[in-house]
Amino acid sequence: MVQTLSPMKIAVCIKQVPTREWQPRLADDGRSIREQDASWELNEPDAYALEEALRLREAHGGEVVVCTAGPARAAMVLREALARGADRAIHIEDAALGHADAMAVGAVLAEACGGEAFDLILTGLQSDDQGYAQTGVVLAARLGLPHATIIMDVKIDGGRLRVKRELEGGWFQWVGMPLPAVLTIQSGINQLRYATLKGIMAAKKKEIRKAAPSAPVTPRVEILSLYVPQKSKRTEIVSGGPAEAAAALVKKLREDARVI
Amino acid sequence: MVLVIAEQRNGTLNRASWEAIAAGQQLAAGSPVTVAVAGAGSEQAAKELAAADVAGVIAVTGAQVEHYTADGWVAAHAAVVASVAPQWVVLPHTYQTRDFAPALAVKLDRALVTDCTGIKTVDGKPAFTRPMYQGKLAADVRPLGEAPWLVTFQIGAFRGDQAKRGASPANTRMDATVEAAAIRQVPEEPFQEARQAVDLSEAERIVAVGRGIKGPEHLPLAQALAEALHAEVAASRPICDSGWLPMERQIGSSGQTVAPKLYVAVGISGAIQHVVGMKGARTIVAINKDAEAPIFEVADYGYVGDLFEFLPALTAELKK
Amino acid sequence: MEREALDVDVLIVGGGPAGLSAALTLASLQQSRGGEPLAIAVLEKAREAGAHELSGAVLDPRALAELIPDYKAAGAPIEADVHEDRVYVLDAGGKLALPLIPPPLRNHGNHIVSLNRLARWMATRVEEAGIDLFTGFAGVEVLWDGTRVAGVRTGDRGIDKEGRPKATFEAGVDIRAKVTIFCDGVRGNLTKQLLAKLPLADGREPQQYAIGIKELWEVPADRIAAGTVMHTLGYPLRMEEFGGAFVYAMPEGRISLGLVVGLDYRDPMFDPYAAFQRLKEHPLIADLLAGGQRVKYGAKALPESGWNSIPQTWMDGGLIAGDAAAFLNSFRLKGIHLAMKTGMLAAETAFEAVRAGDTSGTALRAYQDRIDRSWVREELYPVRNVHQAFNHGLLAGLTFSALTVATGGRIPVRLHGEPGHEMMKTRAEYYGSTRGPIAASNAVKADRVRTFDKVTSVHFSGTRHDEDQPVHLLVQTDVCYSRCGEEYGHPCQRFCPANVYEMLTNADGTKRLQINASNCVHCKTCDIMDPYQVITWVPPEGGGGPQYDGL
Repeated sequence: MVQTLSPMKIAVCIKQVPTREWQPRLADDGRSIREQDASWELNEPDAYALEEALRLREAHGGEVVVCTAGPARAAMVLREALARGADRAIHIEDAALGHADAMAVGAVLAEACGGEAFDLILTGLQSDDQGYAQTGVVLAARLGLPHATIIMDVKIDGGRLRVKRELEGGWFQWVGMPLPAVLTIQSGINQLRYATLKGIMAAKKKEIRKAAPSAPVTPRVEILSLYVPQKSKRTEIVSGGPAEAAAALVKKLREDARVI
Repeated sequence: MVLVIAEQRNGTLNRASWEAIAAGQQLAAGSPVTVAVAGAGSEQAAKELAAADVAGVIAVTGAQVEHYTADGWVAAHAAVVASVAPQWVVLPHTYQTRDFAPALAVKLDRALVTDCTGIKTVDGKPAFTRPMYQGKLAADVRPLGEAPWLVTFQIGAFRGDQAKRGASPANTRMDATVEAAAIRQVPEEPFQEARQAVDLSEAERIVAVGRGIKGPEHLPLAQALAEALHAEVAASRPICDSGWLPMERQIGSSGQTVAPKLYVAVGISGAIQHVVGMKGARTIVAINKDAEAPIFEVADYGYVGDLFEFLPALTAELKK
Repeated sequence: MEREALDVDVLIVGGGPAGLSAALTLASLQQSRGGEPLAIAVLEKAREAGAHELSGAVLDPRALAELIPDYKAAGAPIEADVHEDRVYVLDAGGKLALPLIPPPLRNHGNHIVSLNRLARWMATRVEEAGIDLFTGFAGVEVLWDGTRVAGVRTGDRGIDKEGRPKATFEAGVDIRAKVTIFCDGVRGNLTKQLLAKLPLADGREPQQYAIGIKELWEVPADRIAAGTVMHTLGYPLRMEEFGGAFVYAMPEGRISLGLVVGLDYRDPMFDPYAAFQRLKEHPLIADLLAGGQRVKYGAKALPESGWNSIPQTWMDGGLIAGDAAAFLNSFRLKGIHLAMKTGMLAAETAFEAVRAGDTSGTALRAYQDRIDRSWVREELYPVRNVHQAFNHGLLAGLTFSALTVATGGRIPVRLHGEPGHEMMKTRAEYYGSTRGPIAASNAVKADRVRTFDKVTSVHFSGTRHDEDQPVHLLVQTDVCYSRCGEEYGHPCQRFCPANVYEMLTNADGTKRLQINASNCVHCKTCDIMDPYQVITWVPPEGGGGPQYDGL
């Protein structure tokens, strides 16, 4: 396959989420999290999407633009992305975006990305906080661009994409489509580079353009309540000697739980 | 009324579709349920639904929907929705659904709630439970705007075998009139790859061993049980740290997170670092000699006693 | 190997209160004095500033007020003003409230703070001032030009368990600086290198430490008034153990609860973490915690040995500030204000030296002069012997403390201390026998409501390390497999509050030391307390470690 050398303009949509170690704390309204003391990080699948974009730029030349839709604190993930090598950033800032649903966020991102003629838009397959797994596809649909999801490999040739989709159960599929397009990237597709000292220093000079949604953010999903899931389990202890208990357990697993 | 969008391969409905039908029936609460299924083999798959308690089955056929593409599925199912005019559109949260459902929702300009684990009634209207923050929290949510509302259900949240049976539904065929030029994806044949790493997240049943196994020489006991259960073998952290099993078999905060149908924890105390990796399992069985072990707090079934005696007994019982 | 190099005027290692105060002072001096801007860099090994900061804490605001006079209006995270001090002496079942609060424990005018929150806030101000704060970068090696401190090398990143570079490998950077201000905290790994190479500790008392184990709890909001400060003596510690507990009440039912134990205990089977669990079962504490929820856990060592143990803090190209140099007032149980002030004084000194073009030890000695003229000496000198007095027992310590208060510290004596790890007795010495059970690492009986085992607690410290990296605890294991079992019963299993060290038995009956390095909360206790001094803590890959949100 001939490698195209024409430079590509790539957008990566990234999200700031609470860290994996964050202990859930609920806000008093019972519908959102208490943000105070939370530590934040770049959504892991988005980190892989960013890395993929940086590698494509290394191969083809061009520009990597990172974009986030979120409150003021989300600027931190943009700076991290710039430190890793992205060229510039767009921050669509609105407090409501911190907990908006994927449809709403996808619309806002589409508006921001639509203004520039990106060859390729990448995002993680889902976010580690809300996990709707919709935003990338919503973005594609709103921009009228072809898309593919849960991508494990990206090849570009002559203005066309050939990408490897992950399917269930160890199956995969290659899919072709024209550029421009939107892809949602699977974690583990590559290995994440570190932000170097020089990268962090250079990031300070890179542009973060602020934008605001042109219309109020329209939620499509309402959160009625947010809570710590209670296991309403009562453990059934099987009693008796080993043989007796084994028989009782197998019966329960077969007939009650129906897992064997 | 509820439209269930099912998924089939080579003429057979996948199990997730039956789960979606069960969910759709619950959501419908007596009102009609229609099932649509597309692709080459859809008419074959539609026949399977003869025994289901649904009002109608639509096999979506046509050259442009022989093979799955996101564009093709969005166009075809948008037409089905227009034709059926349901209140709800229900799908299983499979990889394929994730690939097209959000685009379908955008085309219909309707709300989509994904990865739901249950249906509730709040203020007289349906609401959906779904996990948030990687399962640390749960949310009850409701789609906004006008009908139809789209909902996808997590694999395993509903039981396919609980889809109600009924009289033969009306079978119809619908030709998907999709312009070839409108389909931008060019799919190739799916293929399986030799697994480089053990992917426990795909396993339906797992037998996991912990410190209680005492030594690698006792692992065959657990392996025998795993074989009898057609399960994968996994381990808590200390077992992998000691080198008795490879790191890829580790379950927990520094290993993999799994949600199989059955998780058998053998000699595992249930320290939180392990539990966070497996508490999503549908059925958890704990075998431990310590009645106070925290694993019993998350287990559905438990045996308090000597695993060296119990494992062989359990294995033997399964083989009967 | 090719390494990137970076040249700065002033390098600050450590993004805690000392380092951040130094950075803010440099920024402020730049602004007020003008002139050629200084190139300044701050290194912090945590993923973000504040993540590794842990303290009680009751803050004497005098340094903060000097640094940022309008700190309250500027939004400094003050949890509560102290409005009540209580001191209790506990025994197993009951408590005795002291009718009079000893002067050093009177906190009127002080603030209850979370050091994590305070550091985060200070860090945002450092960034607003335009100073590079490099988080996720650990200083691993002092760079030398002969005996002159030339700068610091950061750790390599992307090395696997076997020590081989991974595909993401990034070599550490050599940061060369005219002045390096070492603020690397208690038992700082770089300060340790300075002390090994230069005779900075000559003539000083040995460093002595304590371990602080702390939890953040949320209890019903009306349980205890915000601004209440409690300190205890006695249970769960015995007369032979130095230390005590603290409870600081914040708004909305948040409570900082902790136990400080001197790392100089005699009983080789003693487990500070287990003592902390026992504390929580005492009625005074249990009643406080009833119906509440533990939110966070952490542990860190404290430098206790005071003024006479502070090493020479100036050298060619280098200065030491904060806990790294033992600037902590163990009498008042406070060190943050001293860390901040010494950070500020170090920054002033460094600024003048760089501007004057002379960063030799002779020029940097001005730091010592500044310290001597400031309230740092005024505060620390009078209490210089107190901790050493406690080496002679609780009664001796209390008596000497009373004398210190009475005379304003004007007692013309210098008490000597011993390194704490040398105070641990062998099993034969303490128990009269080398037979008998050895308490394992995680043998704490826990009810999982109020008390927890170590492994669960580590989960609540938010600690994360990349698993695929070399073990960062360097242990010369010969003694582990020869003498230690019989002599001390493997005390690493007990003094580590994070279940890092476990002596396990193999199938063939032989023993094996397992190091669960990724549990490490960076408290430094093992480096300090191991009786053979065969454990060296080095920083793991930058970015790893605890996440002390709200602690």
